Amino acid sequence: MRYAEPESVEAALLALNAHEDARCLAGGASLVAMMNAGRIAPGMLVSLHRIPELFTITEASDGIWLGAMCTHRTVAADTRLGGAMEVVRGAARQLAHPAIRNMATLGGSIGLADPRTELPVALVAASALAEVAGAHGRRAVPVESLFVDSHRTSLQRGEFVTRVFLPRGATGAVGHHLRFSRVAADYPTVSVSLVLDMEGDTCQQVRVVVGSCAPVPLHLDAADQRLIGTRLEAEDVAEAGGLLAQAAAPIDDVRGSAEYRRMLIPRLLGRALSQARERAHV
Amino acid sequence: MSETVSISLTINGAEHALTLSPERTLLDVLREDVRATGTRRGCDEGSCGACTVLVEGLPVLSCLSLAVTLPGRAITTIEGVRNGPELHPVQQALVRHGAVQCGFCMSGIVLAAKVLLEQNPSPSVDEVRQALGSNVCRCSGYTRVVEAIASVGGRP
Repeated sequence: MRYAEPESVEAALLALNAHEDARCLAGGASLVAMMNAGRIAPGMLVSLHRIPELFTITEASDGIWLGAMCTHRTVAADTRLGGAMEVVRGAARQLAHPAIRNMATLGGSIGLADPRTELPVALVAASALAEVAGAHGRRAVPVESLFVDSHRTSLQRGEFVTRVFLPRGATGAVGHHLRFSRVAADYPTVSVSLVLDMEGDTCQQVRVVVGSCAPVPLHLDAADQRLIGTRLEAEDVAEAGGLLAQAAAPIDDVRGSAEYRRMLIPRLLGRALSQARERAHV
Repeated sequence: MSETVSISLTINGAEHALTLSPERTLLDVLREDVRATGTRRGCDEGSCGACTVLVEGLPVLSCLSLAVTLPGRAITTIEGVRNGPELHPVQQALVRHGAVQCGFCMSGIVLAAKVLLEQNPSPSVDEVRQALGSNVCRCSGYTRVVEAIASVGGRP
């Protein structure tokens, strides 16, 4: 295996394109596990850990740009990620366990596109954009559009995510992430990420995304629409949850059956909405 | 043929000059090249925590860390936690509580607990459990391990 440690995004792109079987190395938490298991054997690794801009966090008036090499620990500790952006901070704070949060990165989580994990779910709820660098320059795309299937993204060969933009969203909007798992360090059985904007007791705007229940983060416009304009009464939540459960394609695994996951969705949606409303009032 | 890379790793304060294939993990290098075998190989996939070491004072899984990415970073292994002849307070508490059976998981648990207590000097039992979320033990049932670590911070 060949190895490169480029010091700029441009040099990394050249290195990635110089070898047919090159892979980016971010935190290593998943890539190295796959290498250890013999599931992949890259011809070349391009480590991104010496590219300063990938670690940069930039505040803009309408949101915050997070470098793709920011670890979950860094994201979890950044108190500027309030309001709607809090959904991503909340997921980063709760996922896996301290050792993984110290290693795994934002860009790595997107590239991996593992349906069991929750950071992609929170990013979709936050309406995050990803800046993607490739041979033809850089483009910003909704993170949601990158997830096309389990462990598959729409990134092309030779491209990688350089940073992620989290919009501030509406004033008063609250982001919230709820995970339901057997034990804290496990993958969630089901997770719910949402951004909620209330006007008094009425839901002005909401974006709900469910994790671990489909090959990609499950976002359903019809479910959001079912909640918008309502007072989030039990019936509204149950119907929106029912729509999500219907659209879900969960698997049976050791964490729960598909049927159990479908049953959890409306209940966790209700819990996540009430927790978000409580937070909106403090 | 894999290429090799020459690097220097700082392990428990000492410099080690090494020439390595880039795919070798820190765990491999610690055990096979540096002969610091206190760091254990459990699952090799990041699920068990037996290989936990500290990089810049924070727990990471050495089985998932490529050694070539770590020059210039301070690496601490279980061999580096003693204070002179004294065991680390976490180790002393584990002994006092009779919490150790086969001991295979303990290197990782001691390091994870050390960091927890540095960040939160008086953790609750629940906070200890959260911090040890990365560490699997197949003997103890965890009860005495968690009690021992909580006792270091003065919690019963």
